[in-house]
Amino acid sequence: MSELTTGSFSIGDLENVQITINNIVGAIDKQMEKSDEEMGPTPKPGVSSLRDWDHTIFERYNPIYTPMCDQCCYCTFGPCDLSGNKEGACGINLEAHNAREFMLRVMTGAAAHSGHGRHLLHHMIDLYGKDYPLDVGPTNIIAPNVQAVTGIKPETLGDLDIVLNYVEEQLTQLLAAVHAGQEGAAIDFESKAMHGGMIDHVGMEVSDIVQISCLGFPKSDANPPLADIGMGCIDPSKPNLIVIGHNVAAVTDIIDYMEDNDLSDKIELGGLCCTALDMTRYKMDGSAEDQVPKAKIIGSLAKELKMIRSGAPDVIVVDEQCIRADVLPEAQKLMIPVITTNDKVMYGLKDRSNDDVEDILADLTSGKEPGALLLDFEKVGEIAPRLAMMMSEIRKQKGIKALPTEEELKDQVDKCVHCLACEIACPDNLPISEAMKLAKEGDFTKFEWIHDKCIGCGRCEFACPKDIDIVNVIEKSSQKLIRNEIGKVRAGRGPISDPEIREEGVNLVLGTTPGIVAMVGCSNYPDGTKDLFDIAKEMLQRNYIVVVSGCSAMDLGMYKDEDGLTLYEKYPAKFKSGGLINVGSCVSNAHITAAVIKVAAIFAQKQVSGNYEELADYSLNRVGAVGVAWGAYSQKAASIGTGCSRLGIPVILGPHGSKYRRALIAKPYEDQKWNVYDARDGSEMKIPAAPEFLLTTCETIEEMMPMLAKSCIRPSDNNMGRMIKLTHYIELSQKYLGVMPDDWQNYVRMETDLPLAKRQELLKILEEEHGWEIDWKRKKILSGPVMKSDVSAQPTNLKRLCKEA
Amino acid sequence: MVDVIKNTQMHCTYGCKTSKAVQPNVAGKLISKAKRPLFVVGSQILKDEELLKRAIEIAKKADIPVAATGHSMKGFVDADVDAKYINIHALATYLCDPNWTGLDGKGQYDTIITLGHYKYYINQVYSGLKNFSNLKTISIDRQYLQNATMSFGNITPEVLLEALDELIENL
Repeated sequence: MSELTTGSFSIGDLENVQITINNIVGAIDKQMEKSDEEMGPTPKPGVSSLRDWDHTIFERYNPIYTPMCDQCCYCTFGPCDLSGNKEGACGINLEAHNAREFMLRVMTGAAAHSGHGRHLLHHMIDLYGKDYPLDVGPTNIIAPNVQAVTGIKPETLGDLDIVLNYVEEQLTQLLAAVHAGQEGAAIDFESKAMHGGMIDHVGMEVSDIVQISCLGFPKSDANPPLADIGMGCIDPSKPNLIVIGHNVAAVTDIIDYMEDNDLSDKIELGGLCCTALDMTRYKMDGSAEDQVPKAKIIGSLAKELKMIRSGAPDVIVVDEQCIRADVLPEAQKLMIPVITTNDKVMYGLKDRSNDDVEDILADLTSGKEPGALLLDFEKVGEIAPRLAMMMSEIRKQKGIKALPTEEELKDQVDKCVHCLACEIACPDNLPISEAMKLAKEGDFTKFEWIHDKCIGCGRCEFACPKDIDIVNVIEKSSQKLIRNEIGKVRAGRGPISDPEIREEGVNLVLGTTPGIVAMVGCSNYPDGTKDLFDIAKEMLQRNYIVVVSGCSAMDLGMYKDEDGLTLYEKYPAKFKSGGLINVGSCVSNAHITAAVIKVAAIFAQKQVSGNYEELADYSLNRVGAVGVAWGAYSQKAASIGTGCSRLGIPVILGPHGSKYRRALIAKPYEDQKWNVYDARDGSEMKIPAAPEFLLTTCETIEEMMPMLAKSCIRPSDNNMGRMIKLTHYIELSQKYLGVMPDDWQNYVRMETDLPLAKRQELLKILEEEHGWEIDWKRKKILSGPVMKSDVSAQPTNLKRLCKEA
Repeated sequence: MVDVIKNTQMHCTYGCKTSKAVQPNVAGKLISKAKRPLFVVGSQILKDEELLKRAIEIAKKADIPVAATGHSMKGFVDADVDAKYINIHALATYLCDPNWTGLDGKGQYDTIITLGHYKYYINQVYSGLKNFSNLKTISIDRQYLQNATMSFGNITPEVLLEALDELIENL
């Protein structure tokens, strides 16, 4: 008897009868058994399966807590004062409570991504069926994170269904551990947080693979088209349809309707946050570089309130994740109807999914309803553009005016009594009072200066005792600047392809490419958007591979260098030394960890399936990659970062990142912690204290530059690699801190590790200040380094991987 | 006398233990009395030359070592003070470890004085120190910091300069 497979069947002569088999019990497990792929020790790991690995990490990298609140208010025993690490009524102390809170933060982020993935997957299976094949470009490892964690090698949409079942079970088990009166050890909440972070990368990968496969996104395209970005790129004379959020599913229906009805040139379609990035990827697969994406990017979360307050949008469509909670009341003030399309954001609006399109349009254009909940995407596709055309006319006729006139601006400014309440409320303590003082004298330049630093949160307005619309004052004062806010972003290209990894892997593991700097995360910057450009420019000039995603990918494109080019136009979008790659939106971050897994798989022939621990160990000891989430604000950023922690990739956050309340920091002075095994014989070997953290924060980008170089140093670097990395570390420290780093000598094993141009000078310092013995005739180090130089050593933290001596 | 404690308004609560408001003359005397003080200066100091001048003066007159966090080291390169760069999150970690021997190898510190940081950032650092160390911490910046042991209130940049002058007189 032949075996049943999934899919649709028609039965012989019976008309109108079709049987659809969605799932066969045990089929995927059977397939896994059949394939040649060897299975590692932990396919579909449970909450405790990778606990030993986590504890190995925490042995060196201490969880550091900086609580936001010293109390616990979880249950009715409380509130309990936990200050000074006291225990509360249930017995939990401040450390464990903060670990629990961090874990919850990570899980919230993971749930946001995998919930997004689940939603997309349901939608695409509805449209294309479970047998629809996955295609992400040239690769034998379609889903590295999925495969490493679950052992499943997905080929169809249906296979991802099983992966998400696993993710959802893990999230439920983790959430259960949050309940009061259970876990008491901070370190085990930490291990659970790591589990949530790892699971997040699986959920993100599923989300992006689904949309890449089904929506015609670029597939590992090394030359994707350039999209417009900036508040200035939107043409205010056309009807403006603005989309906010992260889930592009409904928006694709809008784009299709606009194309089918010849509206694409008549309506300005712009997006905020990751939906915008994904709109520019839609149907761009294999397109020429000069092809124009089907929508424009306005910017990140920080631009949401400002965009609404500008009055430019005629309709706002929201989907899910980073969307301001006050979109509806803000839009209502300016007669902008809001359409909600996802059950995560409904704003209390009436569900009109099953109503007649004309009725809905009538209610929204007349202002009878401020908006509508529409869970039927086809209807969203039709209503949103038609509504934009109608509202544009209506709003013009009604003379809707958004920002204050010059006169009103003056009145507003004159009301200020300089009480400083706004500055205390401002998350960045921006000098609003001083700007008001200057504005009273007719000088608005300080407000222009504030505009870029302002994250558009509106807290100042609530604090102001004089009811000044401070955000409007900032925006009105900066109109000239805003009109010129136009840049370019390369559309997200998706994963790094196998051929690219094959070519670049060796350089990364030996250190001759100085490292991968992954700039990810949100727009809560400490000092404006230009920081990202400055970081990327410095590291690209030094031949690091710079990978970007999400809001960071957007803001990076807002600035031009001395040749008048954005970095996207200047540097190749290839995964090679000196390349600048935009992988895509928030969920595309999985391609960054995937690239690290692929280096181990393709370059070092490591088994992928169910072999997470070994891959993480490889990454920690051999792949010089570092993440930067300079403006991280969200729970999602916490889960992405924690997924990196478990995979052994260090991440640096901006100063606002301290409000995540947990870091992973090692102590370089604890000598005994900086030993690993040599896998060739199980002997212990000393390694340099790098990376010094898996998650930390820093104050300024100037401080971060040398930190980045140091964080890419790995025990496996050969001496050419060490020389290159040390050169950048020393140069960046001198350039940005004005001094030599005080620990550079710790990374030196032999004279050829020293930067060529400085070798003589550095040897002298080693001799005079550190007591090393130098043979000056041969310019050789005779004694001093604590580490031996051995190019074939195989550093590992896992005893089980060692051959017996 | 400059009054710096009149405005200690909080915009959110951090729990049961919040810092005592302190006047500059008292802060100055406390710094002088400390056995193992460390002056932690952040990179915001570089935005105001007058402030940097006073930071250097405090380090010199009280003869205390400077932990230069962020990229504030640039301001101390030729200042003839005992300054070393360190990342502040790492510093906060080591300060909670009784086995750390300090920037100079001579042992753990007993009093931390801070100036020149983002308010929200240093307040988180203080939160770690408050809950997981026995250090005395004094903020002499222009914002009230709930998590320090003692702190100036919310004051203007001009009043801060006056206050620091008074503090220096009392060293």
